[in-house]
Amino acid sequence: MKKLGKISVFLYDNIGNTYERKNKYLLELALLDEKIKNEKDNDLKRKLKKQRREIKKNKSKHSYIISLRDYEKKEKAFLNELKRSKKEYIKSLKEDKTNRKLIKLKTRLFESEKKLTFYKEYIDLSYDAEFEYRKASLDTIHLPKIIEFFIDGQSELSSALAEKEKLKNLDENDFNNEFKRFKAFQKDILKEEKLRIKNLRKQGLISKKAEENRLKEIKKKYDNALEIKKRESKKFANKEFIKTKKYELKKNLKTMTKVLEADISDYRRKTPVEIEKTIPYYSYLTILIPGLGQGLNKQYMKMLLFFIATIFIYLVAVPYALGYGNYQGQGIAGLISLAEGGLRIHKSIIFMIEGIVAVFLSIIAVGILIISFLDVHKVEKNAIKGIRPSNWFETKMTISEEGFPYIVSLPALLIIVFIVLVPIMTTFLLSFTNMDPQHQSKFTWIGLNNYKMIIMGEGLAGKVFWLILGWTVIWTLAATTLAILIGFILALLVNNERIRGKKFFRTIYLLPWAVPAFITIMFFSIMVAPGGVLTEIINNLTGLKVEIKNNPTLTRIALILMQGWLGSSYIFILTTGVLQAIPGDLYEAADMDGATAWDKIRRITVPLVLFQTAPLLVTQYTFNFNNFSAIFLFNGGGPFDPIKYGNLAGSSDILISYIYKLTMDNQYQAIGAAITMFISLGLMIFTFIGFKNSKQFKEGRL
Amino acid sequence: MKKRKENKEKLYLSDKPPLTLFGKIGIFLTYVVLFAWVYAIVWPLFQMFVSAFNGKQQQYIMANSNFEFSIRHFQYLFTETLYLTWVKNTLIIAGTTALLTLIVVSFTGYAYSRYRFKGRNASLMAIMLIQTIPTFAGITAYFTMHSIVSSIIPQFSRQMMLILIYTGGAIASNTFILKGYIDSVSTELDDAAKIDGCSNFNVYRLIIMPIARPMLTIIALWSFIGPFMDYLLAKVLLTSPQSYTLAAGLYTLVTDFRTMNQPAFAAGGLLTAVPIVILFIALQKQLVSGLTSGSVKG
Repeated sequence: MKKLGKISVFLYDNIGNTYERKNKYLLELALLDEKIKNEKDNDLKRKLKKQRREIKKNKSKHSYIISLRDYEKKEKAFLNELKRSKKEYIKSLKEDKTNRKLIKLKTRLFESEKKLTFYKEYIDLSYDAEFEYRKASLDTIHLPKIIEFFIDGQSELSSALAEKEKLKNLDENDFNNEFKRFKAFQKDILKEEKLRIKNLRKQGLISKKAEENRLKEIKKKYDNALEIKKRESKKFANKEFIKTKKYELKKNLKTMTKVLEADISDYRRKTPVEIEKTIPYYSYLTILIPGLGQGLNKQYMKMLLFFIATIFIYLVAVPYALGYGNYQGQGIAGLISLAEGGLRIHKSIIFMIEGIVAVFLSIIAVGILIISFLDVHKVEKNAIKGIRPSNWFETKMTISEEGFPYIVSLPALLIIVFIVLVPIMTTFLLSFTNMDPQHQSKFTWIGLNNYKMIIMGEGLAGKVFWLILGWTVIWTLAATTLAILIGFILALLVNNERIRGKKFFRTIYLLPWAVPAFITIMFFSIMVAPGGVLTEIINNLTGLKVEIKNNPTLTRIALILMQGWLGSSYIFILTTGVLQAIPGDLYEAADMDGATAWDKIRRITVPLVLFQTAPLLVTQYTFNFNNFSAIFLFNGGGPFDPIKYGNLAGSSDILISYIYKLTMDNQYQAIGAAITMFISLGLMIFTFIGFKNSKQFKEGRL
Repeated sequence: MKKRKENKEKLYLSDKPPLTLFGKIGIFLTYVVLFAWVYAIVWPLFQMFVSAFNGKQQQYIMANSNFEFSIRHFQYLFTETLYLTWVKNTLIIAGTTALLTLIVVSFTGYAYSRYRFKGRNASLMAIMLIQTIPTFAGITAYFTMHSIVSSIIPQFSRQMMLILIYTGGAIASNTFILKGYIDSVSTELDDAAKIDGCSNFNVYRLIIMPIARPMLTIIALWSFIGPFMDYLLAKVLLTSPQSYTLAAGLYTLVTDFRTMNQPAFAAGGLLTAVPIVILFIALQKQLVSGLTSGSVKG
């Protein structure tokens, strides 16, 4: 709106209203500034500038400034006096010392009354005085009501409490007996009603749902009757009254104060502030110490909050990043050195992880600095424009409104950063090192060598990569597609309206999914072992002597079949859910048009099911791509074929189990990390494309 | 009732056209296929059941051995192995994971569904992509991270690390699921509550949470079942048999030569599977609805 460094003629508030300046000195300067700006003649311009300098030099002699200083002096004296008289006033209130809340309210009212008379004289002099005056006037209107309410409520409460004492020894046997009788009576009624409703149901007059609802209804009635009756007991009624009163007192007091604060905030927004400053330099000067700027802006609670952040930055983040307080590492520097030349017990991997943690901490610290700077800067800039800085009440509201999503996401963010991101970053960085059996404790950066080895298919670990990738792709496509086909066809068959025993089939078909996969896989593995049940059956049937676990092709086929068995269950349930939701009239319409069963399946069922389950089917493929359990538990990735696969992998290993063997069993962590990154990148791209095409993303309603 | 049945036999009451011969053969074949698959599912499970109770089975489960009912494999499981400790471990880990996940996710799901804040879409996308990376990817780091933390806080056990990893892995996808669910709840309810003076937190606690309870149940259930199903992380991260979860513990009964006892594995597997199967059958509908809502995550 206006250039920095120049004083504007008018002031603006939050809503954009315009106000006249009360500070005549600043107004004079502002008018001069305007003149200078509009003046074309250079000589005159120079003259005006000189005039401006003159005014600035003689600031203390300016008539407005003199009266302002006078006001400030008087205000100071007044405030001191107020402090003193406040203390006296509190002393005079000694009759209810324990009641802190009341004392607080009363003193506030006392102060406001004094302020009201003092500031009234200076309303025209400065906006600050006007604001104080308005605040005080609001206080004097609201506070008496609040105090009255509070006193009334407390007296009611205390009389109730006194009553409680009296009732303590009251014998309520009569009532108790009566209540028991009443309860028995009501119970009888309940039983009768229940019976009646059940009979209705038996006769088939009402549905099961209606029966349930009615039963609930009469139970509620019964409970209510008892609750009402209970209140006839004096003790109980007294107890309840005290409880309600306490709650009411607390809640209403809160609301009333909130209303007062909100009204004050309203004036805050409508009363501008006048300052001489034209450049928001606080924010730049205090950029490194969050909290200081807020303090200079007179937002003290905010200042405290940011000081806590400052403590985090300078006592945690910065020292950690520099290497102090590390377990072994050297902060961020450790990422470069990787413990090179360090002690024997120093491990490169620890240096790496601590370096990553240090980086994340630094990112958080920088984030806080930026937030603090932006906050101070905004408040300062607004103050120059004339907008009064918001008070704590408003800040609190803003935090609980706009800051809410950030605050509640914080735990998730922390867990994601330290449990998910740090390990992934570690793996990412590991893939550029030479961590292998010879370099376990100390390793160094080797750039893209690992990736080169994988892609070129070189080295001990790299040469089988493409072979394994090939089988991984075959496995993923075959096993998933088989499971989808089985599940889908079964769901279609069971869903046929002429088939009976749907519940039976659906329950049985659920089993492969419900039984934990590791159990079934291991049991399958036992069954196809030499001498196992399945092996014997196959041998008896074919007359051959097959050893599934020693034959790569048979192992692979068995794996695919097993995953078909395991995975079909999930697809079956999913498809059944979708099938049941397809409206029947679609099929009826098709029938009318003379469609055959096959047509109906092809034109109605398949497209609808596919459309709704497509994203989940995609996740099935990615799931099997990484299906470690099936491969590893079935045959440990075997059988081994050293000529073709070397010693590190077996012929049924997929990438994820290969990574496991590289990392866990053989300590080729770096190559394993590189392959992990390779997979992850592939999967990410895959998911990203799928997500980009999804309905939600396209419609922009994420 | 009887009358109706009689009528049914006499009259053709169905609104479907009567079956042709082809149709009848088709139905018959359908039944054949369905029962064949029932057999395919039940047979292996039945074998496991039989082996668990077969006293004639020795260390290895062999075919064609005679059957003799006995519960000695179960006795072995309870006396010779740490089965009960494993159950306890798994329950603790699963319970804590479910609780943590529920707390964290219920907030993020609500925030992402109801608020349009800076960085929302970017972080959603980031979550999306991160969750595609298998949890297994960070395995090397987990070890070291645990040793660093436990050197500072000795009480920090590997099981706690496991809980955190499970929770961290569950946040992303469950946030999506819950967000999708809350999206379907009309915002008019929130607005009404806010007009009546509810704070954001109370809107969630009093309005959204009760409505989203079915989905929250599913999320809790899934994250509870997760540790029962996961074998990989437990086996890698937990090192002593005392701290094993069920999956890792049972695995030692099939692979480790010192503790090898396949019928005991079958018995343990059975005991583990039965409660979960019952849970699945009882909550079939809810679990499935959770899955289809999960399609949001694409």
